Amino acid sequence: MSMKFSAIALGAMLALGAGAASAAAPADWSKVAAKKITVFYPGVSPIEWITKGSDHGGARLLKKGETCVGCHEEELADMGQKMASGSKIEPTPIAGKAPAIPVNVQAAHDGENLYLRFSWKEPKASGSAKMDADNQVKIAFMLEANKVERADQSGCWETCHGDARTMPGADDKKTKYVKGGDLASGKFYDLIQWRSGKGEAHDGYVADKRVEDGGKGLVKAEGKKDGDTWTVVFTRKLAGGGEGDIALATGKTYNFGFAVHDDHAKGRFHQVSMGYTLGIDAKADIVAAKQ
Amino acid sequence: MTDQSNEKSGFLARLRKPSAKYSLLTLLVVGFFSGIFFWGGFNTAMEATNTLEFCISCHEMKDNVYQEYKQTIHYSNRTGVRAVCSDCHVPKDWTHKMIRKIQASKEVWGKITGVIDTKEKFEEHRLRLARNEWARMKASDSRECRNCHSFDGMNPEAQAKRAQKSHSFAIEDNMTCIDCHKGIAHNKPEGMTEEDEG
Repeated sequence: MSMKFSAIALGAMLALGAGAASAAAPADWSKVAAKKITVFYPGVSPIEWITKGSDHGGARLLKKGETCVGCHEEELADMGQKMASGSKIEPTPIAGKAPAIPVNVQAAHDGENLYLRFSWKEPKASGSAKMDADNQVKIAFMLEANKVERADQSGCWETCHGDARTMPGADDKKTKYVKGGDLASGKFYDLIQWRSGKGEAHDGYVADKRVEDGGKGLVKAEGKKDGDTWTVVFTRKLAGGGEGDIALATGKTYNFGFAVHDDHAKGRFHQVSMGYTLGIDAKADIVAAKQ
Repeated sequence: MTDQSNEKSGFLARLRKPSAKYSLLTLLVVGFFSGIFFWGGFNTAMEATNTLEFCISCHEMKDNVYQEYKQTIHYSNRTGVRAVCSDCHVPKDWTHKMIRKIQASKEVWGKITGVIDTKEKFEEHRLRLARNEWARMKASDSRECRNCHSFDGMNPEAQAKRAQKSHSFAIEDNMTCIDCHKGIAHNKPEGMTEEDEG
């Protein structure tokens, strides 16, 4: 009898233990493959600039289905340098602004949550006026469920427009948006951001405009600076469940991009990634494999 | 009247009459060497108008396009091979060169009338002038580019990924250099439209 009881107790403990383990971020991130993605300073390069052949020669290749990284992967830092220095498409360069930052991106899931970890070495501060005095760093990522046209090529650029706030001469109230975007038809980007100031996170989306909150997918986001290395880990329910939340399914891939507002930056003065794919147990640029 | 026409016909007649004074050999030798001299002189003079110094002797070129070109790879590069104005803007072979030189005489008129004699005027006309040159290059399948560059001679391995992909598409679509390489040596004009690309 007592043996039987012990067996049941052991079984229950194991089951509980397994349950607890199945909803936790990887205990050892060093065992999770990292993809190094360079985010770079984009100057004034909204989608209108990207798609105009006389401004951007690659517009022709974009029409043929080529991705941004397909051409630019090896020159991201050089491009950032050209724009940060003001030699190309940057009318108001910030002296000393970092041209690019290599970021290690890791992903995992446990059947319930997606875990995304970003870590990078903080570049030298520019010493310029703080645009966002409250937050030294903000990091945001976007996910897109293969509904927005060209999102599989250009990543977040479909939300970046020349008439949005902080662009030269633009309306300060106009946020980023997707052309023809709306939640009902699925033409939107899920957007999650972490801010260093108070350590708070926002779960929103970008459709016909940017909405900062309202999502129910984000469980938590934790960031810290250790020495000169920033590490931010997002925990997001795979299922999502709120307004502007994409439901992530195993075996599927999603369009993915992220941006770091370094050095107290605001608006367009951020460091951005090109478009990549995130796979949930599926072949992609970044694979979130089940732990 | 009668006297004048007589004089004229007399001069013409003298030119047409076989020489009684010089031997045929003298005439041939003198003619041959004079020919070389004048032909050489003509070509030397024409070549003089092909130098960078000649082109930038006009402030319209020196103050605008020359300054932009000096920032580009066709002016300064690792191997020290320089392409000057005429390498891109004047055909190498004699026939096309002559045609281009005759067309260029119109630019002398532009100089005299001061069409682009200020920075503002230059910018005002830049798009129109650039379109003329792009059309000329397109019509000749970028002949002047191809005097030095060819798809055959390219080593894609040595190119950036961006260039590799662009060139492979260009070959596939039978495109010509100027289709993509507008603004390679000078600033692109303001106001370009989609039609200006490709």
